[in-house]
Amino acid sequence: MKPLSEQDYYETLDVSRSAGSEDIERAYRLACATYCEDSLAGYPVFEAGDVELLRERIEIAYRILGDPETRHAYDLELAGEVHGAPAARAGTEPAAPAPTARPAAPVLAPLDTQDELEEGEWSGARLRRTRLRQGVELGEISDVTKVNPTYLSFIEDERFDSLPAAVYVRGFVTGYAGCLGLDARRVASSYLQRYEEKKGGSRRRLFSRK
Amino acid sequence: MISGTREGPPGSGAPRLIPFGGGKGGVGKTFVAANIATTLAKAGHRVVAVDGDLEGANLHTALGVARPRNSMAEYAAEREEDVRKLLEETPFPNLRLIAATRPNLASPQPSHALRVRFVRALRTLDADFVFLDLGAGADSAVMDYFMVCDDGVVVIAPEPTSVENAYAFMRAAFYRRLKLAMLSTDVRKVVALAMDERNERGIRTPLDLLREVKALDTEEAHRFVEVMRSFRPRIVVNDVRSAEDIRLGFAVRSVCRKYFAIDADYLGYVNHDAAARASVRARRPLVDSDPRSDAAVYLARIARKLIAPRVDAGGETGASE
Repeated sequence: MKPLSEQDYYETLDVSRSAGSEDIERAYRLACATYCEDSLAGYPVFEAGDVELLRERIEIAYRILGDPETRHAYDLELAGEVHGAPAARAGTEPAAPAPTARPAAPVLAPLDTQDELEEGEWSGARLRRTRLRQGVELGEISDVTKVNPTYLSFIEDERFDSLPAAVYVRGFVTGYAGCLGLDARRVASSYLQRYEEKKGGSRRRLFSRK
Repeated sequence: MISGTREGPPGSGAPRLIPFGGGKGGVGKTFVAANIATTLAKAGHRVVAVDGDLEGANLHTALGVARPRNSMAEYAAEREEDVRKLLEETPFPNLRLIAATRPNLASPQPSHALRVRFVRALRTLDADFVFLDLGAGADSAVMDYFMVCDDGVVVIAPEPTSVENAYAFMRAAFYRRLKLAMLSTDVRKVVALAMDERNERGIRTPLDLLREVKALDTEEAHRFVEVMRSFRPRIVVNDVRSAEDIRLGFAVRSVCRKYFAIDADYLGYVNHDAAARASVRARRPLVDSDPRSDAAVYLARIARKLIAPRVDAGGETGASE
């Protein structure tokens, strides 16, 4: 058993790594019922702030494990950690320019006007372009937003099928855009529009269920 | 010290001792223990039910023994040295009783040493199972009996007071084990400190404590982890009235893991049943007086699970039906 802060998502939800999706659903519902303010099982031990913290962890764990694709990505990540490899997956990142090759004065680099005005559609490629122009690494965005760099690169690559539910992607993109000083709301909703379009209706049904 | 759990088949050597505790009074420890004991006896196991509560003895009544001739009080007063002579027949074949009635209120409480001797004697009884029905609270008398195995039963009722006491109970049992397992004086001191919930070092959970112990002594830390792993109390939720009450067992298990690093099991639940109350009034175990009642069916299920070999596949066991 480990301290809460070191528990992986499976441990947070109290499920085994081989748990089926029904087990995860059940575990999530149980966790929600257990870690709320008026929980019979919890109230004798909760201290101020505990519930918020636990709930946050549970939500994150569920949003990752509850979706087969993000779960798969996470499993790979866990397996990677075991072998001492870094969490981010090779190949998803574009061949990042070496530090010296980075534009010395990104702000002054030639831009197309659309990018400058932040208008129009925000694609993953455009996000990446903007990021690279500012000389910001994915890791830096990850440090600020706490969003796993793997997901950030999925966002840039528009690997919608590997990304979690729309609500979370919205959060990720909002964080990403905020780091680059963009109009986060506008960027996020534009990106989400693409996300929804590409992903089709099957997913949306899944999320409107709750 | 901490004994391993026996899983031997009936009739093979020493009996398996199973304590029933839970901290709070009135949650149904005696009711559950008496009914499980009766179920197993009816199934052909040789069972001895021991009343561990000299202050509020009533296991004999639950089993329909009106006036026990002998009692643990005699042993405590050292008037009777042979535990076998304390055994009392019950209305059920295969089920015998050691009562705790205390006709003389001035008679002494057993000392720690005497309780240890008593438990040792219980292990020599010719039986398959020895159940210890404990009193309320988590004082040393109760804890001595709860220490007889790693996986004692904790009975809780779906009420805040009961849940609160159950945590305190399991916590006390855990620290007690820990203190016995730790050898170095420095480490023992830290453990004693941590037992006070408001300790100034801010040791909130056993995991905080483990960190401190690790810093002091790695070998002790290994023993610590061993105690943590081996202690697996089993929860029974009694008198449930709703699905939410049933889930309480899982919720308590989860909190135990997250807050106390105690890997508790959820053994099962007994639903609220008018027949249960009627059986208590009739001074007969429910599984005997009304075996088809809902509560009796659940009790029988718990009994089966209680004696089944443990499944240790990463906490998959539980009352998931």
